[in-house]
Amino acid sequence: MSALWPLAGIALALLGVAAPFGGNAYATGIAFQVAMWIALAQSWSMLSATTGYISLGHAVFYGIGGYVAVLMVDAAPFPAVMLVAALAPAVFAAVVGLPVLRVRGPYFVILTYGLAELVRHVVMRIESALGSFGRMIFSAPSPDALLWWMVGLAVAATLGAWAVRHSRFGAGLAAIREDEIAAETLGVPTARLKLLALIASATIPGAVGALAMMRTGYFEPGQAFDPVVSFTIVTMALVGGTDSVRGPILGAIGFALLSEALWSNFPQLYMIVLGAALIGFVLFVPQGLSGVLDRKGGRA
Amino acid sequence: MTLLEVRHITKRFGGIVALNDVSLSVAKGEILGLMGANGAGKTTLFSVIAGHAAPTSGEVLFKGQRLTGLSPARICRQGICRTFQIVRPMAGLSVAENVRVAALYGAHALRGAQVGARVAEALAAVGLADQRDTLAGALTLSGQKRLEIARALATGAELVMLDEVMAGLNPTEIAAMLDTLSSLRRDRGLTFVIVEHVIGALMTLSDRILVLHHGEEIASGTPQEIGRNAQVAEVYFG
Repeated sequence: MSALWPLAGIALALLGVAAPFGGNAYATGIAFQVAMWIALAQSWSMLSATTGYISLGHAVFYGIGGYVAVLMVDAAPFPAVMLVAALAPAVFAAVVGLPVLRVRGPYFVILTYGLAELVRHVVMRIESALGSFGRMIFSAPSPDALLWWMVGLAVAATLGAWAVRHSRFGAGLAAIREDEIAAETLGVPTARLKLLALIASATIPGAVGALAMMRTGYFEPGQAFDPVVSFTIVTMALVGGTDSVRGPILGAIGFALLSEALWSNFPQLYMIVLGAALIGFVLFVPQGLSGVLDRKGGRA
Repeated sequence: MTLLEVRHITKRFGGIVALNDVSLSVAKGEILGLMGANGAGKTTLFSVIAGHAAPTSGEVLFKGQRLTGLSPARICRQGICRTFQIVRPMAGLSVAENVRVAALYGAHALRGAQVGARVAEALAAVGLADQRDTLAGALTLSGQKRLEIARALATGAELVMLDEVMAGLNPTEIAAMLDTLSSLRRDRGLTFVIVEHVIGALMTLSDRILVLHHGEEIASGTPQEIGRNAQVAEVYFG
């Protein structure tokens, strides 16, 4: 039960961060970004931090959710749009999951990246065949409403990631990460658990993608499926630390704020810093910010 | 009562015949030893029984049910668990967490308070209770071999297949391992199939021994009979 307290604190902190910014457009924008990256990095961690199957293609779920939402938003009530935007990438994950999850290590990384690029180009083709070069969104909810949705997703993803880690399901996923052959010898249904983790990991990013499209007000496939989204998720999660649900939160907050600081003045510098931080953390701080905090706490 | 029955298993890897028409049966509570030089097919036989390798022909029955074609996880849940000659600790998890996975997902698929009790029991049985919070990767080889056994026990397996759990251990550790295995059998009535290069240990533990050579059975009998068998002596000592 005591383990729930940090989560309650996180949820309250998020709400606290978001609440006063109702009227301030700039602050609303930053809060939206922070919540978005927390939701994405937590979702990614449900598959990749637990099983060690590192996805470099989560932009595909984000993009599918965004695409579906843009096609629906003028015709359906918004909660229905969000529901379908979350379910569509889950269905996609269920369909591609079994063959994709048969390969491990670097092959899985490359395959997820390749698959995301494939879908991006297919959607670009479809859109240009339809004569559409970007779609404007006219019936998006207000920025404040979008922020509340996004904060809800960030909290849901955090609670979900926490629940996965502390469940029997999570114990099975950790066993897969450590030694898949040993895991199946001990009765862990590896193929089924990996597929469920992929589906769980794909759902919220779809809804996040929908909100992001609503926020920008238009949809352009090259941007909705931008691989930089995948890269950023992985970087944030690794820099934050993959050992706890705190990690993705720390990474997402750190990078979202860093991007705000650099983006306006030195936009080129942001991607350089992102890359340098990833290299630095992987080489020197593999346990991430969360691990550093643990060690500090242990010493104090 | 026959627990495990292996019927006419043949396994080919390309042109190589790893197992040629091997049959055996193991009764409940029995310890069957498998003997044979490197490449005789002992580990392949384990892999076929545990579902890691599909036999080219033949079938495996456990309590009268056909196992052939089932996944390793399904076979584990039926009540068979193997250990690995080259140990496979989940290095980044603690000793207790390793065993917990087996308790949660094995043949008994325990829930709630039963899980912790099973973990403690399995660790105590192999003498790892003091190291439950150590990372599995930090254990000595002897400790990791014990962990393999503890995990197999925690699944609730009725039949445990041990692949060279003595290899690489020093004489003191071998004596301790022999004690552990004897008491497991005495106290729990478990059934074992054992592959072992430490012949003395195999002779001590086994009720029956089956000798494989180039994938074929060349002898089977009590340890005394095997000790007197001229063909076995020739294969082993030339």
